[in-house]
Amino acid sequence: MSRKILLKHIDVPGIRGLKAYRENGGYQALEKALKSMKPDEVTEEVKKSGLRGRGGAGFPAGMKWSFIAKPEGVPRYLVCNADESEPGTFKDRYLMSHLPHALIEGMIVSSFALGANTSYIYIRGEMLYVYHILEEAIAEAYEAGLLGKNILGSGFSLDLYVHPGGGAYICGEETALIESLEGKRGNPRIKPPFPAVKGVWGCPTVVNNVETIASVPHIVNMGGDEYAKIGIGKSTGTKLISACGHINKPGVYEIELGLPAEEFLYSDNYCGGIRNGKKLKAVVAGGSSVPILPGELFLKTANGEPRLMSYESLADGGFASGTMLGSGGFIVMDEDTSIVKNLWNFTRFYHHESCGQCSPCREGTGWMEKLLHKFLDGHATIEDIDLLWDIQSKIEGKTICPLGDAAAWPVASAIRHFRSEFEEYVKNPHSIKDVKHYFRINNLVEQ
Amino acid sequence: MKKTAFINDKPYSFEPGDTILSFVRRYFERDFVPTLCDAPNLDPYGACRVCSVDVALVKDGPCKAQASCHTPVMENSYIYTDSERIKRLRKNIVELVLTDHPLDCLTCEVNNNCELQTVAARVGIRDVRYPEGKNHLDRKKDLSHPYMTSDFSKCINCARCVRACDEVQGEMVLNMAGRGFDAHIIKSFNNNFFDSDCVSCGACAQACPTSAISDVFESKSVSADKKVRTVCTYCGVGCNLEVAVTNGKVKSIQAPYDAAVNQGHTCLKGRFAFSFYNHPDRLRTPLIRKNGELVPATWDEAYNYIANELNRIKKEHGPDAIGGISSARCTNEENFLMQKFIRAVIGTNNIDSCARVCHSPTALGMQRTFGTGAATNSIIDLKYTDCVMVIGANPTDAHPVTGAKIKQFFMKGKPSIVIDPRRTELARYATYHLQLRPGTNVALLNMMLYYIVMDGLEDQKFIESRTEGYEDFKKHILNLDINELEKVTGVDKSLVRKAAHAYATSPNAMSFHGLGVTEHSQGTYTVMLIADLAMITGNIGRRGVGVNPLRGQNNVQGAADMGCQPHQGAGYLDSYDPEINKMYSAFYGVDVPMRKGLKIPEMYDASLAGKMKAMWLMGEDNAQTDPNTQHVVSAFKQLDLLVVQDIFLSETAKLAHVVLPASSFLEKSGTFTNGERRIQRVNAVVEPLEGTKPDGQIMCEIMKHMGFNQPDYHPGVVLDEISRVVPFFAGVKWDELGENGKQWPVKPDGTDTEILHTESFKLGKGRFQTATWRETEELKSNSEQFPYILTTNRELEHYNNGTMTRRTGNVEILTEDVLLINPADAQKHNIADGDMVCISSARGKIDVKAKLTDEVKSGVVSSTFHFPDIHMNDLTSSVADSEAMCPEYKVVAVSIRKSKGVYKK
Repeated sequence: MSRKILLKHIDVPGIRGLKAYRENGGYQALEKALKSMKPDEVTEEVKKSGLRGRGGAGFPAGMKWSFIAKPEGVPRYLVCNADESEPGTFKDRYLMSHLPHALIEGMIVSSFALGANTSYIYIRGEMLYVYHILEEAIAEAYEAGLLGKNILGSGFSLDLYVHPGGGAYICGEETALIESLEGKRGNPRIKPPFPAVKGVWGCPTVVNNVETIASVPHIVNMGGDEYAKIGIGKSTGTKLISACGHINKPGVYEIELGLPAEEFLYSDNYCGGIRNGKKLKAVVAGGSSVPILPGELFLKTANGEPRLMSYESLADGGFASGTMLGSGGFIVMDEDTSIVKNLWNFTRFYHHESCGQCSPCREGTGWMEKLLHKFLDGHATIEDIDLLWDIQSKIEGKTICPLGDAAAWPVASAIRHFRSEFEEYVKNPHSIKDVKHYFRINNLVEQ
Repeated sequence: MKKTAFINDKPYSFEPGDTILSFVRRYFERDFVPTLCDAPNLDPYGACRVCSVDVALVKDGPCKAQASCHTPVMENSYIYTDSERIKRLRKNIVELVLTDHPLDCLTCEVNNNCELQTVAARVGIRDVRYPEGKNHLDRKKDLSHPYMTSDFSKCINCARCVRACDEVQGEMVLNMAGRGFDAHIIKSFNNNFFDSDCVSCGACAQACPTSAISDVFESKSVSADKKVRTVCTYCGVGCNLEVAVTNGKVKSIQAPYDAAVNQGHTCLKGRFAFSFYNHPDRLRTPLIRKNGELVPATWDEAYNYIANELNRIKKEHGPDAIGGISSARCTNEENFLMQKFIRAVIGTNNIDSCARVCHSPTALGMQRTFGTGAATNSIIDLKYTDCVMVIGANPTDAHPVTGAKIKQFFMKGKPSIVIDPRRTELARYATYHLQLRPGTNVALLNMMLYYIVMDGLEDQKFIESRTEGYEDFKKHILNLDINELEKVTGVDKSLVRKAAHAYATSPNAMSFHGLGVTEHSQGTYTVMLIADLAMITGNIGRRGVGVNPLRGQNNVQGAADMGCQPHQGAGYLDSYDPEINKMYSAFYGVDVPMRKGLKIPEMYDASLAGKMKAMWLMGEDNAQTDPNTQHVVSAFKQLDLLVVQDIFLSETAKLAHVVLPASSFLEKSGTFTNGERRIQRVNAVVEPLEGTKPDGQIMCEIMKHMGFNQPDYHPGVVLDEISRVVPFFAGVKWDELGENGKQWPVKPDGTDTEILHTESFKLGKGRFQTATWRETEELKSNSEQFPYILTTNRELEHYNNGTMTRRTGNVEILTEDVLLINPADAQKHNIADGDMVCISSARGKIDVKAKLTDEVKSGVVSSTFHFPDIHMNDLTSSVADSEAMCPEYKVVAVSIRKSKGVYKK
């Protein structure tokens, strides 16, 4: 199960440039789609492929495309969500910085399928160097007639813009992203209307993750049915996982969905096991917002089945004993890690990134952080654990956008699976003072 | 088949587009589901989450908490508004909000009228479980502004103020800055209310659920003894106001959300500029001129003096030596009595009103084309239209509430056209701004008509079935020299063509016009061409179309309706027609004259010629407002008797022989008719200031003094009299007008009319009228010596000649008249921003401060006449509309230079 699709040519020298990319099969999908397919046929292939959104929610991409409204005379837009900011997730950055043309080709083919003549890549502002890489690649593509008017003589025209964000995590939420793209404050919009009906500039819009879009050319090349054969069940294709934490080999791995979790964690082809010979304590399998799982529950489901790296298997058991594949931000914690301290750090992030529109999230994330700080200071009481639980339950599902959920889930799952550790902080505040390990978000970098 | 959903297990039907909240409110009281970020005039925002309810898709199915304000109702869903879970959720949310709110309710301005307080009480907060933490309670108050205040320590981040600023006023001054816990409201570039671009409309203060944004009058505090609903006295929009009274004095004003005209919005004049009403300058006793001085007198002395003088003059010179000018500031009843006094008691048709100097060309032009001189549609039609054309009007300054609605339309990116020599606020948002040379409206509209005819965009069906005279009209249009017109107007013909196409091809297009159309030598012709445009494109007689004059003063429509013009009596019936004269004579019980009466400018000429001996002005300040001031003042000085009824000793009152102290709109009852023909009840809020009397009472008393059998003044009685003589008031009853009034024509059974000319025109068929552009006499004779064109305009903060607004806090916001001048012109004359400039015209010269702006094109300067010290109308000419005699305020030939000597600043 070590099939590589997206990263197949990652090691080819000069693959960042158009020439090497083309020599290795790049832009074949573009030619195929524009010259021999109708837009709806491309959508149909994507539907058949079973490709699911790689940004975190895992919604079938083809179905999302088919929702786009097509009123007469109204332009449609494709927006690539490259605002990758989830702590622990750095796969899009890796893909874009090494294979910019993979994204650009995907954008062109997807725009063709959707009938968009203007498309945007909304990139996280902090990734300025990637922005420059994309700009350079786009210039190459224009130069080669792959972008602009009448691409390859097909009659299809596309202008592609890269728009850097201003440094807000909330702008990774698709409607806040659209607001930000329009030059407004990045607050989420209330839905309905959904972007497929009213998105950018009030026009029908599809927002897709970088990895999702970069997968499209491969689907076009091999055909949807063929792509659907990769992976397992409804988790088709390959997925980029950015692995980090207390492992021997942090980095970005492309895995075929369905890879056994144990193999991913311990095989030398992937993470290579826990570093320094320590024991596994917990795993956050899909970016900081997904529920944390104790090591044993990560490796085996509550029913004792071996856990697989797939949408379904990781979610097995619901939130009681499962988690989510999410964005593929894979964070591993060894036995020395303080779950409370780590949670405080995650919560501090969500507190900082809440846009402030919904009162439960605006105030609640702040209070969760403050309460967690109380634990670390040794002033917490047992009631504070319940209060913490209470706050997260009033945020989850009670806000306009999923940032509230993202802030609530780590808290809920930490208390669910590691309540005793919280209690320990209350009972013996002095004994845990020495615990130093927690994940500094800034350290979660590509290695 | 109506769709059904269940509220607390009982089935109710819902309408398409209902959110859960609007659905619940359809059947239960407004606060059945508590809310914090929801407001009656704002779009759903979904921020506070207090309105969450439980929703199950099937009976006894799993429930999910949904924010009711923005979640659409699902058919057959089960909505639980008060489940234990939801109660806990609401309580916890409010508890969280309270952790960053000062709990100083007892000393808070909005104690007992605070939505946060109400919601907290409702959800039953008894305790805040969170320890004291970082908060924003130390935020400083903003007391920089004469009206607006803020104390953001009380802010709960509901963004109602931000949305009110965006969605209601469209000013976008307020915004959210910072993220999450740091999220906070800022003004413009994070400055204060005074330095920001705030237009002081107060929409944010009214929207704020706490006292985070309020005003100096503490309009949200509960300390009022009573609240009275009345109608604003400023512009022709006719906003309803809710006036709070404490100890017999006006405390504050808010805008009722259920007002049909203004839906909870109003401007800084309506909301805040009321302190003139008990200003020390108010007249409190009649004054009679003795030995050249105005000295206090009793009412009886004043009435006797007037009656004797009028009787003497009538005897010596005949009734036609007496004239009256009525006021659009006064009620319908008072205007009716004024014209009745002049016609029935004095016995002359020398009655006119200030409609002469503003919308008389509208009345005449629309009567000639449609038959009715009033707005064909209603303001609410802005919701239904696809294209808006604004001609010679600056509604964001002069009709702020309607202006804000038009601006909202413009900002939505639908086709919009502004025809104006100035780059007004709306022009900046318009799809097409046709910035023509002042005085070339007729030429420009002819260009639009030309392209509509040339490009075959006429609505043939409408033209055939509803109009007449089209063939001749078409011939005339096709003979136009388009290149010549392009040269004359200075507007690129291809731009005009695009605008014409936008207007003609939109499914529904509506036009608004103001004094920039009427106050010209070709004002009536311009109005007729606007009507032609509507007819040729079929934009008449349904929702979202029409010709809609933006009436200047609060009751200018009413003053004309009541017959305050020489040629038409009450209800626009021809006062020179023998049959109608008989009817009027029978109605008033005395013979009324059929002799031609004089219009305002003719009265001045008659006075200077020694033929006019006495004039009675009701609430008019012609010495400041009418053009060519020196001419007007000389005319008044020639009179044997000048009676002025006013609330202040105006520039005109200073010239009077008798001054009668009148009551302001806050002290009297009656009806105003707004620009969309809506007759609304004005209700006395406070007792008349001691020593003053409502104008209607003064009229009744003088009529009795002069021996006429007029019952004591009561607006209801007079309105009843009006309804018996004015055909379109037939069904108007004092007690049946309700809070939102009725739009005339009101049928005898009381049904009113939102849209005119739906089936046919008053004339039967609409008549196409042609007009050929002519250069105004003013420019023809003077432009050689005076090469610049001065056009007069208005500023938001002040109203007309400023007698009222200058006696309020508005004067702190806008302190003086300025001359708008293009930087290129300024440079030519070595004028810098803030320099005093001397402007001269053929009539006189004045000094005014320069403001450099690209709002005006090179060659054009613009200014206001809000401040009497400037004497702007010393410059304006006696040239008037050839048909309706409306003065040409908008085109004055002037020269400019930097001021010398003492004026140098």
